Amino acid sequence: MSVAEEPAPCSGARMGEDTTFEAVWDTPKGWRVLSSVSHRVVGRRFIYTGFVFFLIAGVLALLVRTQLIVPGNDFLDLETYNQVFTMHGTLMMFLFAIPILEGFAVYLIPLMLGARDLIFPRLGQFGYYCYLFGGIIVLSSFLFDAAPDGGWFMYVPLSTTDFTPDISADFWLIGITFAEIASVTAAVELITAILCARAPGMSLAKMPIFAWYILITAFMIAIGFPPLIIGSILLEAERLLGLPFFDPLAGGDPLLWQHLFWLFGHPEVYIIFLPAAGMVATMLPTFVGAPLFGYGFAVAAVVSMGFISFGLWAHHMFATGLPILSLSLFSAASTMVAVPTGVQIFCFIATLASGRPRLTTPMLFILGFLAIFVLGGLTGVMLASVPFNWQAHDSYFVVAHLHYVLIGGMVFPLFGAFYYWAPHFSGRMLSERLGRWVFWLMFIGFNTTFLLMHLTGLRGMPRRIATYPEGIGWDRLNMLSSIGSYILAAGVALFVYDVFRSLRRGPLAPRNPWGAATLEWLYPPVTPGFNFHGIPPVHSREPLWDQPELLEREAHEVDGLMHGLRDGRRETLGCDPVTGAPLYILRLPHPTWVPMIAAAGLALMFGATLASVYWLCALGGVIALAAFAVWAWEPSDSGVERDVGMGTTLPVNLVDRRSHTHVGIVGTMLVLMALFASLIFGLLYLWNTQPQIAATMAAPLAVPSGLAGIAGLAVALFGQFTRHFALQGRTGRAALLAQLTAIAALLSGASLGWALLPVDPRATAFGATLWAIAGFVAINLCVVVFWALFNAARKLAGRVGPGQSLPDFNLATFAKGTGLMVIISAAFCLAGTLGGAAQ
Amino acid sequence: MSPIRRSLLCVIGPGIVWAVHFTTVYALISAACAPRDLIDYPGLLLSGGLATVFALGLCLLPVLCPPRAGPPELIRAAFWSGLIFSLAVLANAGALVFFQSCGG
Ligand code: HEM
Repeated sequence: MSVAEEPAPCSGARMGEDTTFEAVWDTPKGWRVLSSVSHRVVGRRFIYTGFVFFLIAGVLALLVRTQLIVPGNDFLDLETYNQVFTMHGTLMMFLFAIPILEGFAVYLIPLMLGARDLIFPRLGQFGYYCYLFGGIIVLSSFLFDAAPDGGWFMYVPLSTTDFTPDISADFWLIGITFAEIASVTAAVELITAILCARAPGMSLAKMPIFAWYILITAFMIAIGFPPLIIGSILLEAERLLGLPFFDPLAGGDPLLWQHLFWLFGHPEVYIIFLPAAGMVATMLPTFVGAPLFGYGFAVAAVVSMGFISFGLWAHHMFATGLPILSLSLFSAASTMVAVPTGVQIFCFIATLASGRPRLTTPMLFILGFLAIFVLGGLTGVMLASVPFNWQAHDSYFVVAHLHYVLIGGMVFPLFGAFYYWAPHFSGRMLSERLGRWVFWLMFIGFNTTFLLMHLTGLRGMPRRIATYPEGIGWDRLNMLSSIGSYILAAGVALFVYDVFRSLRRGPLAPRNPWGAATLEWLYPPVTPGFNFHGIPPVHSREPLWDQPELLEREAHEVDGLMHGLRDGRRETLGCDPVTGAPLYILRLPHPTWVPMIAAAGLALMFGATLASVYWLCALGGVIALAAFAVWAWEPSDSGVERDVGMGTTLPVNLVDRRSHTHVGIVGTMLVLMALFASLIFGLLYLWNTQPQIAATMAAPLAVPSGLAGIAGLAVALFGQFTRHFALQGRTGRAALLAQLTAIAALLSGASLGWALLPVDPRATAFGATLWAIAGFVAINLCVVVFWALFNAARKLAGRVGPGQSLPDFNLATFAKGTGLMVIISAAFCLAGTLGGAAQ
Repeated sequence: MSPIRRSLLCVIGPGIVWAVHFTTVYALISAACAPRDLIDYPGLLLSGGLATVFALGLCLLPVLCPPRAGPPELIRAAFWSGLIFSLAVLANAGALVFFQSCGG
């Protein structure tokens, strides 16, 4: 498949290096493979690691079922039982479901969209190692006999130091927060990749439907994960430093934790469901032989679910005593989400009806998904009704419902996806015969286990109890549920056997083995690690069906942009986010250890915090910061122009709102704003619900609050002016304004701190939250200072060529966002002052 | 604005309107029903009602006057998005209509 190419001297070539396309994209050999940044390698790692966590969590589920198989059982003691179900839920939700789906997205998105890699490959590697190290921290709690036991949602006050004095809750809070960095980085990476790197002609309306699902999911992660990250940091700060965020005696509120948790927790269910539904929407047309019915309906449904799923969080809190009016609002939104979900399911059913489905193994899993998920959705509508919810709350009915939604909505499509995309991982097909056995074992086992649990719940069995007395109508149901879980486990075990069997004996997969329509099947499944010698223009959503010329030739001979472009660099095409028109060449990094070192530094920092060894913690922080600095130090190639073939010349990089780095910055700002909004929500919530105690807080100082606001405005304005002068090529002025931006940032941070001096963070939860907000804003201001001085230094050192103003362009957006946060924080301080503290 | 951008806006816009409306209603309920007691129940009804009429008008825009040009898939998506979110806005407001107080 190697293409003979003449090396050509050109800008950006790494002199003396082999510049063939294959060599440039080759995966490093031996142990250096750990430094790979390719989306294929990183995506697979997420998938394999996620599956290992699934197996571990599955074994824990079997322990739970074995304990409950007969009444009065003492197979596990009470303490261990608590640990086992907590770790089961935690591993399944945080370390299996989301990462494995993100792995699929990381792997498939560039292939489907016609990109050679994701746009920020190093971020992908960094995210993976954060996930791996975070997961190891959580799991290692078993070794220290300190496995978390407070349930997967770690409710306070149970998880505060009063009731959990050991470090089990810290393992959960620190490990999970660390692992979540991976989800957030992957979200930013996927948003940018989908918007900025598509094949020529692939407008948003021509994008494969899977990309829509992932795009919406990624936005949901960017907005949905921050509340939990903030909640976890506040709870850890309460445990470690005694700040009373959730302590009612100091004006805190345990319900604030529940709000923050479920603000994340409910969208999470959709974050898990949507990518899986996207896989179904991709596989289904292949086996029906017709395009997805109602692409427009499906897009509307996905967008609606993305939004409405954020309005459901309090339906997990129906039994906490919220005002009936609030309950009704959340009940209404919970019922409403069934509408777009239904629209989507009808799209699938109509697609099924529009052709003659081939009953392959992936198709069986799709049918299983439809049956099980619809049942789970129906019990969801039941639970959305407040009176029924009060009856069923915390009973096995809820356990049945949540597994119908999660296993039906995610595990079944996932196993279908394993069978469908298996050739991409091993170059071989999995066995159809064994696949059918796997499906039926899982389907029968699943329904035996969980259908009966509805009844167990309606007969009054609460969840999270380690045993029960005999003779109250639960014995036989539990026995059958446990037997069902063993059947389900047998299905999973058979799948694992099939995977290992196929590695040696599975039939080799031909090119496009299923006759699919999307671009990931353009190349024979296993390539040495690269995609698209030439990036073909795309005219339809089903390119492999509608553009037969794509499959007529060997994949590496297919005509496309960038074919034969020899820069000795990893490059792909940057496009207009909406129309998909090619705009620029995107230069991507080569394999590197830096992201892994940054993640290891953070792991050291988090691990040392757990062990309370603070000098080691500081060392970890320094290692991570040094790695980030090396990461950021990158020569710019902006300003170079290249002929990309087909009569098109494109620049390297684009200094524009549509540039990938700018879209990435906007994505990052979204995450930061969501973090900030979570803190503001906490502040307003405590102010509103605990007025007496909030009123006892000393007022912040007025003058410094005002100064902070003015300095915040200056940060935004100076940032914007720096951009302005940089774009005009007036380097000296831009350098001066960058320094002024840094000075304004320093001033605003100092003024905020000064304003809060009278406020004792340990005295009231309200004061602690104000300090938390100031701390968060200060971290952002530090980034502005570092970034602005870095840009200024490069200019003053003469390292910036004409047209290389992208760093200033991006900094301006970041500075405006940060300036806004400073102004809002200052306004809250001032309101506290003028209102006589927090009265 | 190009037709494709306009139709895209019509797909996403109703969602943003719904989100703002939901947040407004939630904030109003919190203002009326939490210990701080910031507004009374008639105030809640009035402001909630106004917000609902405004939000409904905006959500119905892509349904009543759909974008004339642009990819047909996105025009259809805009129509359905407008419809779904209009229903969702009504559902948010329903909570206000069916009760006479915060209800405990
Ligand atoms: C593979 C088969 C599975 C079995 C047999 C199983 C079994 C169970 C059982 C019996 C419980 C209740 C424990 C109790 O309340 O005492 C439970 C809880 C839970 N399961 Fe599963 N489960 C399975 C898969 C999954 C999957 C795939 C997910 C998510 C993707 C999941 C998420 C959860 C969660 C979040 C809880 C609640 C944990 C808590 O109360 O803290 N489970 N599971």
